[in-house]
Amino acid sequence: MAQIFPVWTNKIPVYIAAGTIILVLAIVGFFWYYGSPWYTDVGYRPAQPVRYSHKLHAGDLGIDCRYCHYDVEVSAVANIPPTQICMNCHKTIGTDNERLLPVRESWSSGVPIQWVRVHQLPDFAYFDHSAHLRAGVGCVSCHGNVANMEIVELKKPLSMGWCLDCHRNPDTQLRPRNEITNMNWTPPADQVQFARKVRSENNIAPPEDCSGCHR
Amino acid sequence: MTRWGMVIDLDRCSGCQACVVACRQENNIPVVGREQAAMGRAIFWMQIIEEREGGHNEGRTRYLPRPCMHCDNPPCVKVCPVGATYRNPEGLVGQIYARCIGCRYCTAACPYTARYFNWYEPSWEPPREKSLNPDVYVRPKGVVEKCSFCVHRIRKAQRKAKDENREIEDGEVIPACAETCPSKAIHFGDLDDPDSEVSKLAGSRRAFRLEEFLGTDPKVIYLREGEWSE
Repeated sequence: MAQIFPVWTNKIPVYIAAGTIILVLAIVGFFWYYGSPWYTDVGYRPAQPVRYSHKLHAGDLGIDCRYCHYDVEVSAVANIPPTQICMNCHKTIGTDNERLLPVRESWSSGVPIQWVRVHQLPDFAYFDHSAHLRAGVGCVSCHGNVANMEIVELKKPLSMGWCLDCHRNPDTQLRPRNEITNMNWTPPADQVQFARKVRSENNIAPPEDCSGCHR
Repeated sequence: MTRWGMVIDLDRCSGCQACVVACRQENNIPVVGREQAAMGRAIFWMQIIEEREGGHNEGRTRYLPRPCMHCDNPPCVKVCPVGATYRNPEGLVGQIYARCIGCRYCTAACPYTARYFNWYEPSWEPPREKSLNPDVYVRPKGVVEKCSFCVHRIRKAQRKAKDENREIEDGEVIPACAETCPSKAIHFGDLDDPDSEVSKLAGSRRAFRLEEFLGTDPKVIYLREGEWSE
């Protein structure tokens, strides 16, 4: 009597085992890669046309963020300051500093400095700075401690999951409105109670609906 | 919860196409050109449908402005295989362009033909591409788009009301088509608020909705032309 199963069927369990291992690795690899800094670009630190130090200006000298990014509270975009803002001080300070050469060139020629954008959201996501500041979300929450950065780098993934984490539970990120630019603000012990109070007082309900950002 | 709806008074509509133009400008709708438009590839979030009665030099023409109906029971949402279109709690039928794979099932499912596919990368006649509305995303090639009831204007008004710590008022949200309509045929507001203008108009004896028998429950309500006492 002939055998019912041919010989190659002996290897079926091996194939199934190998296939399972490959599938598991693929799933793990997928989530691992798309959540990793390789994909989200965390740590992106491009060279800027001027070796401008946020640590010196915002950290050591203590200039408020809104001295240069003055539109941030009223506009959807936090503006890149024009050369004229730099020259408010640098007309008299560091006039022979060669690091400031591109600034002086821009000042005399009227051609803006081509800063490289670090925090870039895709076009299909609408983001409004003023709404977040009015709710009491500090600069640090999304940009990291810029006052400690010699060169600005991307500190947070700016991914949709990361946005939604906070939109679903903003309690940890809310602070008094007069502290929004304070890089060293530490949350009080009763942060959750404080956040709840602010949320009900100021009617803060971050949208979780798709059309909140995708419009 | 608000339930956004639109009332279009056909008695007032003169078919001037101002709403169509305003909508194109507001929502960055690409221009496909004459040849492609002849093949049915032109995109209209708001379109005037024309119907002629009688012969060439007699009879009359009726006009029907057709935005997306934002159905309460939308057929397009049921067929989307990737969840790129959905009905949100305010009754708006949203389109998430980044999720859309361009299968066009929704275009086929929509009984009002309110959905359009982007066959090409969006383009405009030269000076126009510099005057796009920054509040509205420019759709890439290969996704379906449709009227959004000017959701960016709704969100803007809602945020303003929130900042001033008050409820949104009736008539505060005006879509581009309603804003521009010279004969004020288009009204927009909350259908769940019994005191809103649209609710009152929707209760009119002239009110009807398109293809009501399909059970789509559209939120665009038309007022048919009244009787003329001649």
